[in-house]
Amino acid sequence: MANMKFYCDAERCIECNACVTACKNENEVPWGVNRRRVVTIKDGEPGERSLSVACMHCSDAPCEAVCPVDCFYTTDDGLVLHDKDICIGCGYCFYACPFGAPQFPEAGAFASRGKMDKCTFCAGGPEDTFSSDEHKKYGANRLAEGKLPLCAEMCATKALLAGDSNVISDIYRKRVVNRGASVLDWGVNYDKASLRAPRGVKGKASSDG
Amino acid sequence: MLSKSLAAYCRALLLTALALLCVTPAQVLSQQAPPPSPIMVPNPASDLWRAVRQRESERDLTGVTQVRGVESNVLITQSGEEFRQFRRERLIRDSGILVGAAAIGVFLFYLIRGKIMVPGGLSGRKILRFESFDRSLHWFTAITFVVLGLTGLTLMFGRFVVLPVIGPEAFGVFANLSKTVHNFVGPAFILGVVLLLVRFAARNMPSKGDLKWIAKGGGIIGNAHVSAGFFNAGEKVWFWSVIVLGALVSATGLVLYFPNFGQGRELMQLALMLHGIGSVLFIAGSFGHIYIGTIGTEGSLKSMTTGYVDENWAKLHHDLWYDEVARGDTPSRASSADRAAAPEPSIPASPDKA
Repeated sequence: MANMKFYCDAERCIECNACVTACKNENEVPWGVNRRRVVTIKDGEPGERSLSVACMHCSDAPCEAVCPVDCFYTTDDGLVLHDKDICIGCGYCFYACPFGAPQFPEAGAFASRGKMDKCTFCAGGPEDTFSSDEHKKYGANRLAEGKLPLCAEMCATKALLAGDSNVISDIYRKRVVNRGASVLDWGVNYDKASLRAPRGVKGKASSDG
Repeated sequence: MLSKSLAAYCRALLLTALALLCVTPAQVLSQQAPPPSPIMVPNPASDLWRAVRQRESERDLTGVTQVRGVESNVLITQSGEEFRQFRRERLIRDSGILVGAAAIGVFLFYLIRGKIMVPGGLSGRKILRFESFDRSLHWFTAITFVVLGLTGLTLMFGRFVVLPVIGPEAFGVFANLSKTVHNFVGPAFILGVVLLLVRFAARNMPSKGDLKWIAKGGGIIGNAHVSAGFFNAGEKVWFWSVIVLGALVSATGLVLYFPNFGQGRELMQLALMLHGIGSVLFIAGSFGHIYIGTIGTEGSLKSMTTGYVDENWAKLHHDLWYDEVARGDTPSRASSADRAAAPEPSIPASPDKA
């Protein structure tokens, strides 16, 4: 089976937030819940980079480890999914997750947490595939339709990649080889280091930095 | 032939060395330097992402995002992994050991020491020790404490103890109920602790005989008689433990109770860990308190159920208080209703009582 992963190419992400919008629409997530978000580092400064973040479907998931009711499970595709019928909304997974992926709709008194909601890699949940229960609780099941998560499929710059980790890393490796390790400092990579002459790029970039 | 070529080679070597010596560093810099090896080139991207990941500076760790939420602008936090390791490898294991050891310890103590009896038996003459408000307050706090303890332990150990027995779906329902009950009983417990502080703090202030009482181990080992007032030093230690641990679990519980105030994850991780440590110490301590108050000592439970203790019990455990009551220095606080229900109090309440 595949080992599904997301990868966001920071050299390509333009912070258009289309992945966020597509995710909300496709999965019909409740208000206040965002399964995916785009974070921009060094906003407005030289070297600004944006990354689209959601559940990274960790191989050794911290959320799974701290869950007091053991509601997480890893599918054959390497996806970390959870059972909302078991989840109690305690928030421990949110404390443990490095990426801030688990989200909680407000439910009941004192804005207490409802059942946790997070990115499912558009793979639904433990309910019957394509059932209305599945769609209501977990959103779309595009994987069962033979499609990839909508966020990645519709990414305009192909910054956000989703799929089997071998395929993803192969695509990214080719990109790195073509453009150099990084274009953060053009001078270092293309002029001084000259790891390799970039294909299809005429002339040299300024070495002034 | 060989020596000649060798000499020529040495000369060439010498000349090269001399030429190298004459070149100053400035001249080296002015020349076209050979391209540095790729290893030597710092990768600015790796520096940036390392800074983001390791949160080296405040500027790097906080980004900008359109999504509103708690710390939604933070790309990566590492503290979650520490929280996970502490919870899974230390907190749950050590808490289990502590609670188990406390239970076994109390049981072994009972086997060795047995019930502490009142020498000479009970006299049948009663003295009012706790009036109805005190008893109600005690049981109010005690019941909320037991409910919170059981529901809290479910959340800490249930996954490893209860879930394998009843299955994940049934345990999910049980745990959900536990969490809801825990959340709603919690504020009642906070109220109980505050009222306990107001009601009993004055009687639990350290007094002269306390050190002596502690030095003699409270007379619980051996048969040495130890003097004590209304509360002995052991009871005072437990009282202040209740206040301190109660304040700790209340404060940390409130941090976890209201996620809508936007507190960060690191604060909530810390709160959850302290909440666990505090409550486990609390539970272990309560085993001792419950033991001494019930099967450990003859006649103690009566003081919290009926409010009255036997005269001989008072002479044994709280002789200084008994003397005061006998002299009439400490007016019994019995209300008229309590007095009416009193089973033949030998020492009547002082007439000038409030």
